[in-house]
Amino acid sequence: MSSSLSGASPDYDLAVIGAGPAGQAACLSLNGALRIAVIDEQARPGGQILRQPPRAFSVADWMTGRAYRGLKARLAAFEALSNVDFMGGRSVLGLREAGGAWTLTLSGPSGVEEVSARRVLIAGGCYDLAVPIPGWTLPGVMSAGGTQAFIKSQQLVPGKRLAFAGSHPLQLLVAEQALEAGGEVAVVAFIQPFSTLVWRAITRPWAALTHGAVLLSALGSAWRLFRAGVPLRFGRPALSVEGQGRVSALRLGQTERFECDAAALCFGFMPQADLPRAAGLQVTPARPGGWKTNHDEWMRASRRGAYVAGETTGVKGAEAASAEGALAGLAVALDEGLIDQDEARRRARPWRKAREAAMWFSALLEAVADPGPFSARLPDADTIICRCEDVVLADLQAALARCDEVGSVKLATRCGMGACQGRNCEHSLLSLAGEPHSERSAFTARFPARPVRIGDLAAR
Amino acid sequence: MERLDVVVIGGGLVGAATAFRLAQAGASVAVVEAGYPNIGASGANAGSLHFQLERRFLENGEALADQAAQVLSLNRLAIEEWRRLDAEMGPDLHIHMRGGLMVAETADQVRTLERKVAREVEGGLDTRLIDGAEARIIAPGLSEAVTAAAYLASEGHADPKALTPAFMTRAQTAGVQLLQGARLTAVGSDAQGYRLTVRRGEADIELATRKVLIAAGAWTGRIGELFNLHLPIYPVALLMNVTERAPPMLEQLIQHVGQRLSMKQAHAGNMLIGGGWPSRMRLDATGRFDLDRSAELLTPSLAGNLGVASRIFPPVAELNLIRSWTGITAITADQTPLVGEVPQAPGVYVAAGGSAFTLGPVFARLLARLILDEREDRLSIFSPARFGHLNSFMGGRLA
Repeated sequence: MSSSLSGASPDYDLAVIGAGPAGQAACLSLNGALRIAVIDEQARPGGQILRQPPRAFSVADWMTGRAYRGLKARLAAFEALSNVDFMGGRSVLGLREAGGAWTLTLSGPSGVEEVSARRVLIAGGCYDLAVPIPGWTLPGVMSAGGTQAFIKSQQLVPGKRLAFAGSHPLQLLVAEQALEAGGEVAVVAFIQPFSTLVWRAITRPWAALTHGAVLLSALGSAWRLFRAGVPLRFGRPALSVEGQGRVSALRLGQTERFECDAAALCFGFMPQADLPRAAGLQVTPARPGGWKTNHDEWMRASRRGAYVAGETTGVKGAEAASAEGALAGLAVALDEGLIDQDEARRRARPWRKAREAAMWFSALLEAVADPGPFSARLPDADTIICRCEDVVLADLQAALARCDEVGSVKLATRCGMGACQGRNCEHSLLSLAGEPHSERSAFTARFPARPVRIGDLAAR
Repeated sequence: MERLDVVVIGGGLVGAATAFRLAQAGASVAVVEAGYPNIGASGANAGSLHFQLERRFLENGEALADQAAQVLSLNRLAIEEWRRLDAEMGPDLHIHMRGGLMVAETADQVRTLERKVAREVEGGLDTRLIDGAEARIIAPGLSEAVTAAAYLASEGHADPKALTPAFMTRAQTAGVQLLQGARLTAVGSDAQGYRLTVRRGEADIELATRKVLIAAGAWTGRIGELFNLHLPIYPVALLMNVTERAPPMLEQLIQHVGQRLSMKQAHAGNMLIGGGWPSRMRLDATGRFDLDRSAELLTPSLAGNLGVASRIFPPVAELNLIRSWTGITAITADQTPLVGEVPQAPGVYVAAGGSAFTLGPVFARLLARLILDEREDRLSIFSPARFGHLNSFMGGRLA
């Protein structure tokens, strides 16, 4: 589309949302060719994995120092790029396309601003899957990812005595870090039986072989926790958190109760999907929840000029994210006519291999960590499902009995109408409404992707 | 096949409420809804109960304003209706009638307000022109920019998420059959009335009925085509915004006489900000407006709407916006609602076009009387007969 038809020409050739491994790799594979804006919520690039220690799951935590050094080297190379304007400390509120240009509405230290680009790469990472259990909204209950970020960035343990519970092996590592930082760990509890965890791992021998070191490090954490006298429990699906005004204990079924002053829950992660959905890109349901954005072999999303990479396409860790970012960068170069098909294919080959290898591991981890559908392990009927609007399970079940359309349940109960706009409860409601579901029948993703001060958006 | 008395097309507010009133009077009724009840503008609007003449009636010249003033008689009835509903339906509707202020900033706007208040007083509404200082006593958050306001004590707001379901539940209890996920696909007529084909999932359902009420909001024109009629209803896509919950800060409905603004604090504490800023409707594969897809947000509308809201009521500027949404509603060719029987299609009634949240419950009560052949003159000014010329060559006995 000619820019003379669409008015002013866009500010940039490419806008990259997210300065994690995927966004960096895309910029690096473009060899300084285009004018690029990279936007990130954090003040400095790196993503969850290198900047602040991971709030969300990241493969590097499981990796040897060598792989971690690789990510750091790429970050240094990225920061040296002179064709990239890094716009940190900014949230992308909205993304829209018109006349061949993408416009991003940003909210940052200087209020709301707009940036336009001919192409956009969405590499926005992931966030913790919230699984409602009785007491999960009590102060003192955090996600394991959040707990880890707290320990790493503050060198403090959030509470004197932590209890860990969930389905994701990451909680073993975080529990060990909590011990090392001087905290006490009351228990690490898995909802799955030990046999299920092991069985899921050994039925994928290729992944187990290629990522032996990773599995060993998880096992190592488990062993060291065990040696330190931390109770490890498996096969305890009936979790609940107890406390009056604040967490005081984690209960496992009727029989066991562990006193604690903080609890970390870890059930896995979901792609950040607000922007792809609001921009009308095609998505499909992800496991264990949320939406992954569809793409072709060159990471092109369903609308012209839009590309996706990293956790946006399904949570699978930093190695796969780097590979996808590099592929997306090559695709942009190809689509811009900077390189030809042959060069793109040749340069893509090692990244495709790296991605494939990483995908084996992510498939393994996904299988091991899968908490299963929410509807299969329902908590008590008075458990809060939508914490912004205090909607309990019984309210949703009553509304679903009248009409099983998710939109109708939302109108009837206010589920998903609060400050988080369903980011944390939509997957639970969809599971209750019954699978399969499509994005069309789910909540409608709307502007803004993050809450923003009215005064910052107002015309003066 | 047993013949129904009335089939209502559309499970929004007007459809649900009219079905309820008809069933209360003993009629056999089915409601056909393409999605689920309240899915359209009835659930997506911001819940204003506005009885003053709207700004849109005043900006297109005196002739149209004269015509629009006819709606005042209905507004008076609507005030009574909402008071009755509060007693009839209970607190879940969050009906909150603590007053409404239509504000002015410039001298021109104050003059428009003066003319408007005179018109309203003549029409039997007890609107009062007050100065900025008095407006700020009534609603302390209003800014110094407000120089005058028209105050009507009976205005307010209610919960659009609760109203239609409340009517529909009562309608079903009274025997109304609800067909949801059901789209009208074909219409025929016979000596006793109409035969409708409704597609639900993979199945076609045949309905025979004496009368039909088209209460399909923005889809009304398209439904009219199935009856071989022109119904001059135009879809319009609007923008609405909601903030996070806030402590109580605004009891009244705030509107602006010269700017697009409506603002209120809903029962849960969220501030709702709208006022008629346009969104962009998407086009379907044939290039017509696509009524089944949500309209696209226009950034200038967003900035404009929040700008006027922040200027008039500064405390709102400090709150976080959590959602901007678009909804498709409908207006008529002459701005006044279209309510009554279509002369060229006996037994076909329509109710659509403008302010249907505020006026929906009263439309329903009067329409039910009209459909049941009771004498009801209060709707005659809204009769589709005024557009009779559009259907001079339309209608007819449908095979």
